Amino acid sequence: MKILASLARGSLIGYTALFFAFIYIPLVLIAVYSFNSNPINMMTWTGFTTDWYAQVLGFKTAISESALYIESTDQLVQAVWNSLMIATSTTTIATVLGTAIAIALYRFDFFGRRFYRVVMFMPMLMPDIVLGIALLIFFVNAGVNLGLTTIIIGQCTFLISYVFIVVSARLAGMDRTLEHASADLGANEWTTFRRVVFPQLLPGIVGGALLAFIISMDDLVITYFIAGVDVTTLPMFIFAMLRRGIKPEINAIAVMMLTFSFVIASLGLYLRSRQK
Amino acid sequence: MSSIALRRRAQLGLLLGPVSLFLAVFFLGPLAIMIVTSFLAPGLYGGVEWTWYPHNYGRILGFADPMFEDFDPVYIAIFLRSLKIAALTVIATLIVCYPAAFCISRLSERWKNFCLFLITLPFFTSLIVRLFIWVLILRQTGLVNSVLLNTGVIARPLELIYTDGAIILGMVYIFIPFMFMPVYASVEKLDWTLVRASLDLGAGPIRTFLRIILPLTAPGIAGGAVIVFIPALGNFVVPAILGGAKVMMLGNLIEQQFLAARNWPFGSALAMMVMAVMLVLLFVYVIVSGRRGIDAATGR
Repeated sequence: MKILASLARGSLIGYTALFFAFIYIPLVLIAVYSFNSNPINMMTWTGFTTDWYAQVLGFKTAISESALYIESTDQLVQAVWNSLMIATSTTTIATVLGTAIAIALYRFDFFGRRFYRVVMFMPMLMPDIVLGIALLIFFVNAGVNLGLTTIIIGQCTFLISYVFIVVSARLAGMDRTLEHASADLGANEWTTFRRVVFPQLLPGIVGGALLAFIISMDDLVITYFIAGVDVTTLPMFIFAMLRRGIKPEINAIAVMMLTFSFVIASLGLYLRSRQK
Repeated sequence: MSSIALRRRAQLGLLLGPVSLFLAVFFLGPLAIMIVTSFLAPGLYGGVEWTWYPHNYGRILGFADPMFEDFDPVYIAIFLRSLKIAALTVIATLIVCYPAAFCISRLSERWKNFCLFLITLPFFTSLIVRLFIWVLILRQTGLVNSVLLNTGVIARPLELIYTDGAIILGMVYIFIPFMFMPVYASVEKLDWTLVRASLDLGAGPIRTFLRIILPLTAPGIAGGAVIVFIPALGNFVVPAILGGAKVMMLGNLIEQQFLAARNWPFGSALAMMVMAVMLVLLFVYVIVSGRRGIDAATGR
């Protein structure tokens, strides 16, 4: 029986190791093969090169003209620039609104609170394609030109929910005795909020903002429907590249994106999980 | 009303007002317009005609507009196929996540948090990049095929990509965190004394699993199933990348109606089918798990 139990335990640990391998080996593979010099078959190793990275970043490389696939680095730079601009705007709006509603739902008792909580989860549950086309129909009917503004508004509808959830978790875990102490010591409501509540809340707000930023940078589906013809974001650019055929430069772009997301998301998750 | 109560009111209004307005106009508004559009007639040149027209749904469900077309069961077939792929995705994701949840729940606090971090992290990296990697692995000249060819296991490349299996694999890969978190939450809460009691009282491991462990972790499984099934059903990126042109799912069909065929009412009706499935699932979930389930799911 003992042997059986330890056997079960061992296989469970083995299974979990496989589980993590399944998640991370593909990510490691792409990082390795992004340095592969083979221009045609990216999964057959022919030698080490950093040319694909250089190519993407717009440097002159030894790769022959016929093996080049990015029409212009300018397009890519423009897409990255658009994504950053959108993400900055959406993060600002979503953080303010998401924090406001989290405070309202956790610090006030009012009729319809449960309703609000359910509504706040709806944009996250809604399949993104449904939200995307609903926004498309809405903007076209309202006579709004599709472009950066519509993307920013559209992304905010679901990013507010993400910020809301992160900030709520922070609020739920907060110690209220400090606030009572502050009030007892004669601080007024605003001072208490500014000096006691807000500093405790800040990691949650920053964490939520970072996660919103990264989700905005990565959003494809909703943006795809409401971007119009003139604006391309980074995920849209890659999606279009993929549909035309797979080229080694995509590897390099992908690895740079993964690295960027890992850094920002790690920071965001760290701030979210930090207690007190 | 006292002045303090009035002030609280004003504060609440200030906090809730802007969000309520924003979501009412840009979330509920668009949904309402989409619902209306799904009952309007498609215009000849891609526009919408403001007449009552239930045949958008008819084209899917069997009462197509008798003036223009015969009923074609292709749409219901795509709908059923999407349901099937989404269901298989749920099952596969559960099989991947469930045992791992048990293992991780038994680790020390430090390792637990680290593992949860590792599982959540990919969710915040580019979806398209994560799917692209599987193209490299699965395609004809991809990693799996070249390894198998070079080692002489196979003589001709296997058809791995552009199949239902590739789509399900891609979906499992991107939906792991969605399933893992709710399942883990209920596994971690599992009372192991009940499991020990069951074993002490002579129930075998299988019986203990079926009668004790499975029922106690069922809420997590149900929650995970719902939040994987819904985005899987309407997904269009995974089939677009890993399904090629061969495998059509509801998501691709909707995209086509909006960006290629320009039949918005029909596209809206298809989106409404996705919404309908979602509402039914949520309704069942709420009925089964009750108010406490909602509170647990929405935090607090």
